[in-house]
Amino acid sequence: MREAVDDHWYPVGLLSGLEDTRKTLLLGREIAVGRNGAGVFVRDAAGRALPTVARFGHLWTSPGQPTRDLFTIPEADTPGRQLVDVGSVRVKCSPLRAVENFLDIAHFPFVHTDILGAEPHTEVERYQVDIREEVDEVWATEVKFFQPQAARSAEGGIKTEYMYRVPAPTCAVLYKTCPPRPGEWDVITLFVQPLTEEWCEVWPWMALYDDQSTMAEMVSFQQMIFMQDRSILENQIPRKLPLDPGMEVPTQADMTSVAYRRWLKRIGYTYGAQLVAA
Amino acid sequence: MGRLDFARCALLECVLRERGAVDWIAVGLSVDVPAGTVVPRRVNDTDMAIWCSAAGKLHAWGDRCPHRGMRLSHGFVRGETLSCIYHGWQYGMDGTCSYIPAHPQLEPPKTICARSYACNEQDQMIWVALAPTQAKTPDAEGRRPVRSLEITLPVAKVAEGLGHPMSSLMVLGGVYDLAVALQPSTQHSCVLHAFAGADQERKQVSRHLEKMRAELESADA
Ligand code: FES
Ligand SMILES: [Fe+2]
Repeated sequence: MREAVDDHWYPVGLLSGLEDTRKTLLLGREIAVGRNGAGVFVRDAAGRALPTVARFGHLWTSPGQPTRDLFTIPEADTPGRQLVDVGSVRVKCSPLRAVENFLDIAHFPFVHTDILGAEPHTEVERYQVDIREEVDEVWATEVKFFQPQAARSAEGGIKTEYMYRVPAPTCAVLYKTCPPRPGEWDVITLFVQPLTEEWCEVWPWMALYDDQSTMAEMVSFQQMIFMQDRSILENQIPRKLPLDPGMEVPTQADMTSVAYRRWLKRIGYTYGAQLVAA
Repeated sequence: MGRLDFARCALLECVLRERGAVDWIAVGLSVDVPAGTVVPRRVNDTDMAIWCSAAGKLHAWGDRCPHRGMRLSHGFVRGETLSCIYHGWQYGMDGTCSYIPAHPQLEPPKTICARSYACNEQDQMIWVALAPTQAKTPDAEGRRPVRSLEITLPVAKVAEGLGHPMSSLMVLGGVYDLAVALQPSTQHSCVLHAFAGADQERKQVSRHLEKMRAELESADA
């Protein structure tokens, strides 16, 4: 049996930021998130306690009955990494559009100009994409792209390699070559809390090898990148992600997006999706 | 187009005509869209990107990139092309996609095309037509465009308030020798583009128009 939309885990707050009880939305319904004597809690509008998991610096919950544990990111546990709580950004778009944008590299030269990409280095070489049935995840590997300034700790342009992973419908993990440590991957994630089908709260989180930048510098770098993405996400028509082919035109560079949409359709995850071409 | 569709279209056209719908709709003064720029406009709830090429040719396109739905009005003009800001897909004069930066070697299929509308420049005003038309763009008869004003009233209410049957260009005359074109933006709002006699003082006309708007809006309140 596939999980229903309610049965997935969703991020609802930073563990480091739960001092005051916070009212928020999850899948269009009000919830309260906070801390009490016993630890952390999430309650629905009727006062019912929802299950919680504390992981990756965030508090996670599910309004349904999760049949699986929240995914893990073993690479993020290796010692020596800086774990960066970036905070959150609210975006007027479908949670699925936010994830899809995170999986996209072709926009780097135009949206993150001179930081994550620059003309004329716009070509996206063929990469590998698969839907891994055994773990029920989407993966893109051998993704390579020229970056003028790959991270705060990077000087000058380099060809960066990436892997993208979608472990849950509203979460994506990016593994990226790490300039100071060849052979290791920096981990950058996008955890998306669906407030409604067309409004989401995005919680980026990072586990980086970077001993040059301060925490504040790493946070503001990632926030600046995401603000650039937001100017796109709030101006796509329609706001929901079209799952049926016909409304938008993918090319080879969009293979990850194609696989993501196909996977969403296959697992029946349609919250924030547009099903019939309008 | 099927016969039924055709009949429906013809009928719709009739209905629109009866309601005083117009072929050409003004969407702004030419000076507001200089060469090399693109701006968003809403016409009857249709989102458009109006852009002017380096050589000064104006275009009105649907405000949606066929690739991933990004608004083209956020894009950028290079020479005689408009590029989408998201992935840089470039569209030529006829609206077809001419270049996909992620695949520089690829010749884009001709089917990838932005929606385009008829767009003309006349008397330093930009006019668009939502449906193909044989009609000529309105002639302001030597008047000069003054400015555009947003009005939070449906276009029909404004025409009524001006005491004029709805048409592409309504000649009001008066001290300033006014002529106005109404652009329905949504169901509840419109933009009034005004022309005045060539020798009229702009500032004065502008003040007069503001007064006119205030009167129209308060008459309805
Ligand atoms: S959405 Fe326009 S180029 Fe991708
Ligand atoms: Fe981005």
